[in-house]
Amino acid sequence: MTNRIESYLPLKPQSFHILLSLAAGEQHGYGIMQDVLERTTGKVRLWPATLYGTIRRLMEAELIEESPRRPAPELDDARRRYYRLTPLGRRVLDAECARLQALVDAIHTKRRMVPE
Amino acid sequence: MTIARLYRSLAKAFPHEFKLAYGDDMLRDGEASIARIAQRRGFAGLLPLLADLVLRLPIEYLNEMRHDIPYAFRTLVKSPGYAAVGIVSMGLGIGLTTNLYSTAWSLLTRQLPAAQHASRLVTPEKPVSWYYIQQYRAEKNLFTGVAAVQTSVQFNVELDGARGTKPQRVFGQIVSPDYFSVLGIAPERGRMLSADDQKPGEAPVVISNRFWRSRLHADPDAIGQTIQINGQNATIIGVAPPRFDGALSPAPAEIFVPTTAPPAMVPELGNNVLQQRNAKAFAALMCLAPGVTIDQAEAALDGITRRLDKLDPMAPPETAGGKRVSLLAAGTRALIPRKVKPAILGFYFVLMAAVMAIACLNLATMLLARGANRRRELAIRLGVGASRFRLVRQMVSEGILLSLVGGAAGFALAYALWALYAHTQLPAGAPPNPDNSLDWHVVAFAFVLALLSGIGFSVLPAFSATKTDIATALKEGAVLRLSGHRCFGLRNVAMGAQVAGSLMLLLVTGFLVLGFMRGQSLHTNFNQKTMVLLAVDPVRDGYTAEKSRSFFEQLPERLRQSTEVRSFALAAQPPFPSTDDEDDHQLTAEASHIQSGAARQKVGAGYFSAISEPMLAGREFQQRDERIATDGSGMAAIPVILNEKAARALFGGGSAVGKRLRDDQHEYEVIGVVPTLKDAMGMTQAYAYLPLTQRDFVQPPPGGITIIARGHSAADALVGVRAALTAMDPNLTVFNVETLSEYVELTRAHLRTVLRIYGGIGLFGLILSAVGLAGITGYAVAQRTKEIGIRMALGAPKTQVLGLVLREGLALIAAGTVIGFLGAFTVAKMVSAITKEFADVFQIGTNDPRLLLGAPLLLAGLALLACYIPALRATKIDPLAALRQD
Repeated sequence: MTNRIESYLPLKPQSFHILLSLAAGEQHGYGIMQDVLERTTGKVRLWPATLYGTIRRLMEAELIEESPRRPAPELDDARRRYYRLTPLGRRVLDAECARLQALVDAIHTKRRMVPE
Repeated sequence: MTIARLYRSLAKAFPHEFKLAYGDDMLRDGEASIARIAQRRGFAGLLPLLADLVLRLPIEYLNEMRHDIPYAFRTLVKSPGYAAVGIVSMGLGIGLTTNLYSTAWSLLTRQLPAAQHASRLVTPEKPVSWYYIQQYRAEKNLFTGVAAVQTSVQFNVELDGARGTKPQRVFGQIVSPDYFSVLGIAPERGRMLSADDQKPGEAPVVISNRFWRSRLHADPDAIGQTIQINGQNATIIGVAPPRFDGALSPAPAEIFVPTTAPPAMVPELGNNVLQQRNAKAFAALMCLAPGVTIDQAEAALDGITRRLDKLDPMAPPETAGGKRVSLLAAGTRALIPRKVKPAILGFYFVLMAAVMAIACLNLATMLLARGANRRRELAIRLGVGASRFRLVRQMVSEGILLSLVGGAAGFALAYALWALYAHTQLPAGAPPNPDNSLDWHVVAFAFVLALLSGIGFSVLPAFSATKTDIATALKEGAVLRLSGHRCFGLRNVAMGAQVAGSLMLLLVTGFLVLGFMRGQSLHTNFNQKTMVLLAVDPVRDGYTAEKSRSFFEQLPERLRQSTEVRSFALAAQPPFPSTDDEDDHQLTAEASHIQSGAARQKVGAGYFSAISEPMLAGREFQQRDERIATDGSGMAAIPVILNEKAARALFGGGSAVGKRLRDDQHEYEVIGVVPTLKDAMGMTQAYAYLPLTQRDFVQPPPGGITIIARGHSAADALVGVRAALTAMDPNLTVFNVETLSEYVELTRAHLRTVLRIYGGIGLFGLILSAVGLAGITGYAVAQRTKEIGIRMALGAPKTQVLGLVLREGLALIAAGTVIGFLGAFTVAKMVSAITKEFADVFQIGTNDPRLLLGAPLLLAGLALLACYIPALRATKIDPLAALRQD
C-alpha cells in the first residue's frame, strides 16, 4: 500500500491543488477553480481545460471520484458534477503534505545553520 | 462576443469521451471566467485561457489514442493476412522512397556538410583561368571569397612506412589555399589550408575524414606525417570534418592538394597553368557577399568577364548577345543548372510520390475492403452510441499503426539497400561512391512519411466505412452486401489507379534503364578487348619542347615497325569521351551562315582507321595536317572532320567536304565526314574533330598524349607499344594504361549502380501492386462468399464462378493499363522537353518494343495472377458452409 502511494509522489502542482481543495469536502469544478484562486491569492489559476484534464487524470488514477451526495438544495447547482477524495486520494494527499512539510523543515534547519 | 465563440468552438474540438464527461462544465466555467476576466483585465487577460485550451487539446487526444493503439494492435494480430499486406506494402514503399531520398534527392538538395557558407556558394558553369579567378577575387562587394578548384583529380599516394608497396589511387581536388575559408569549414584536426600556404613549392595537404579513417586507421598522430603524392613528399596538415568530401562534384575527394604544390607532384599544374591567361583549368568557387543575390552576381560577373575578355588580345572578339557567365548554386553535392533544377527535382519528386502513392493505395483499398467487411461490427458500435468520429479515429489508428510498423520495415529495407550500395565492388580505379550514409534526416523523413501516409490514406476509407445505414446493416449481416454495382466506387477507382500508377512507374523506370543500357553497350567495329590505351607526357619527364616535338614525329614510324601493333593513333584524350559539351563551341557555316554547336576532340593521323570507323566522305587526318595547323595563326584554314550529326546540322543534306566553317577564333575547312559515334555514356553529340597540333606535342594536355593501339590482343599491342617506347627512351613514364573495355567499364561504373536502383524501383512497384491487387480481390471474394455459395448450390459450374471473379478484375486492369500508358508517355515527354540528358535516354527507351509490350503484359499477367488465386479459392467454397454462415 505504501508503495502504491509513493508511486504518486511527488504530485504535480495542479493535482495537489485540486486534492487540497477537495480535502474539505465535495466540490464542483468551478468551485475548485475559485478555491485555488482564493487560497493562492490569485497567483494560481487553473484554466478550464487544464482543470478538467487534471480531474480526468485523477479520476483515472482513482484518487478522486464523482460524488453522489449533493450539498444543501439551496446551494446545489443541479447541472454540475461534484467530486470528492477517495480513501486512496486522501492518503496520497497526506503523504504529499508530509513530504512538503519535511522539505519546509529542512529549509528552516538550513536557515538556522547559515546566519544571514 | 468573439472570444466566447472562439472558446466554444475550441472546446468542441476536444475528444468525444472527454466532452461527454466534462464538456458542459468546461463550457460553463469558461464562459463565467470570460465575463469576469474581460471586466477586470480586458482581452489580453483572456489569452492564457485560449492558450490553455489549445495546449491541452493534443494532450487529450494523445490520451485517447493511448487506448486506440493497443486496440488497433489486437485487431491487426487477429487478421494477420491483412496486416501482412499492409506492412509489406508500406515497408516497400517507404523503403524505396527513403532510399531515393537519401541518395539522389540529398545529393541534389542537401547542403554541403560542415560548410558554413553553403547557402551563399556559387560557381560559374564553365571553367575559367587562374588569372580570371584573381580578377574575380578583387570584386569585394560581390564576393567574400573566390577559390580555384580542380575536381576529380587522381593522385598516386604512398603512405609513409609503407613505402615500396603499391601506391594507392586516390581521388582528390587541387584547391587554392583559400578554399576552406571560402567554404567556411573548420578543421576536425590540425588546420586547414590558409593564405599562409601561399609559398610556392611547399606541399601541405588536407585529407578527408574518410581518408583518415580508412587509410590511416584514424591515427591520432596523422597531423605532420609525410606521405608521397605522385612520388613527391607532402605533409598532412589537417583532417577535414566528417562527411565533407569536397565541393563542386558528387564524386568524393579524399585529399586536398594546394595550387602552390610543385608541378612535379601535380602535373595538372604544369605548363605554367597558373600564368597562362587562357588556360581555363579551374572551377571558381565563389562565396557571395551578404545581400548579393545570385542574379545580381551573374549580371555583374558577366560584365566583368566581357571587360576582361576585351583586354585580352588572345580572347575571342566580343560577340553580340549571349551570356558569358551563368552561375550555379554550389551549396549542394550535385550541381544542376538553375534552369533545369525544377525539372530534375520534379522528376525525382514524382518518382518518390508514385512509389508512395501505390503503397498508400494498397493500404487504402485494404482499409476500404476491411471497412465493408466490418459493417456489422461498426453498425453495432454506432447503434450503442459510439460517435462516428470515434470509429473513424479507431480505424485511422489502425492505419497509422500499420504504416508505422511498415515504416520501420521500410527503414530496414533502406538500410539494407544502402549497405548493398556501399559494399558494391567498383572496378579498380573508379572514384568511390559518395557517402550517403543514413542519418537522422533520413530517419525523420521515413517517420514523417509513414505517419502522414498512415493518416492521409485511412481517413477516406474510414469515413466511407462508417457511412452506414445502421438498420439495414444490422439486418443484412456482416458479409452479404446488396448495394448496386457502382462503376466509380471508391474501391474501383483505387484499384484502377493502382494499376495505372504501377504501370507508369514500371514504364518510366524501364525507359531509363533500357535507354541507359542500350547506350551502355558501346558499339565498335572491332573487338574492344584488342585495344589498349596508354598515355605519355615527355615534357613532364623533362623533355625540352624541341625534343618532345621530334619524339612525337618519330613515334608513328616506330609503331608502324612493330609487329604486334596492327593499327594505332595518337589523340589528346581516350576515344569515346563523354565530357565535352557541344553547346560550348559554336561553328558557323561560311556560305549559309547557319550556326550550330559541336563538341571538340583532338585526334591524330589515322585515328578513324584505328577505331575502324569508315569515312562517309572525304579523307581523314594525315601526319601533314598535324604540321600545317600549328597555332592556326597565319594559316588559311584548319582542317576539320565533322561527324554526321554536325554535318547535317551545318550543311543539311548537301555535301560538307570542302566547305568552310568558322568560329570566333579560326577558320576551318571540312576535309571529311565520319559516322556519329556514341560516347561511353551512350550519348550522341555533334562533333568536330580537330587534328593534333605541334603545340599539343610541345605542351601535352594534362592527361598526356594518349596512344591508341590495337593488336591481336590488348596485351600484344601493349607489348608492342612499350617496346617501341623503350627503344626511343627507356626512362619515359607510361601512365593510364588500360584496355578499352576497362576504360569504358570505368566510366560507366556509377551509371550501373544508378540503373540498378531504377530497375529495383520498377520491380518493387510491380510487386507492390500485385500484393495490393491480390489483397483486394481476396476481400472481394470473402465478401461474396454467400453469393458464390448460392450460385454453386444452384448448379453454377466452377469455371463460371472463376469467370465472375476474374471479369471484374480484368476490366479494372484494362482501364488502368491504358491510363498508365498515357501517364508514362506524358512524364517521359515532359522530362525530355526540359533536359537534354533525359531526352536522349527516353528517345531510346520509348522506342523499345520489348518494354512497350512487355511491361503491360507483365503487369497484366501479374495482376491476373493476383486475381486468379483468390478466384480459385472462391471455387473451393463449400456451398453448404457458405449458406449456413450467419
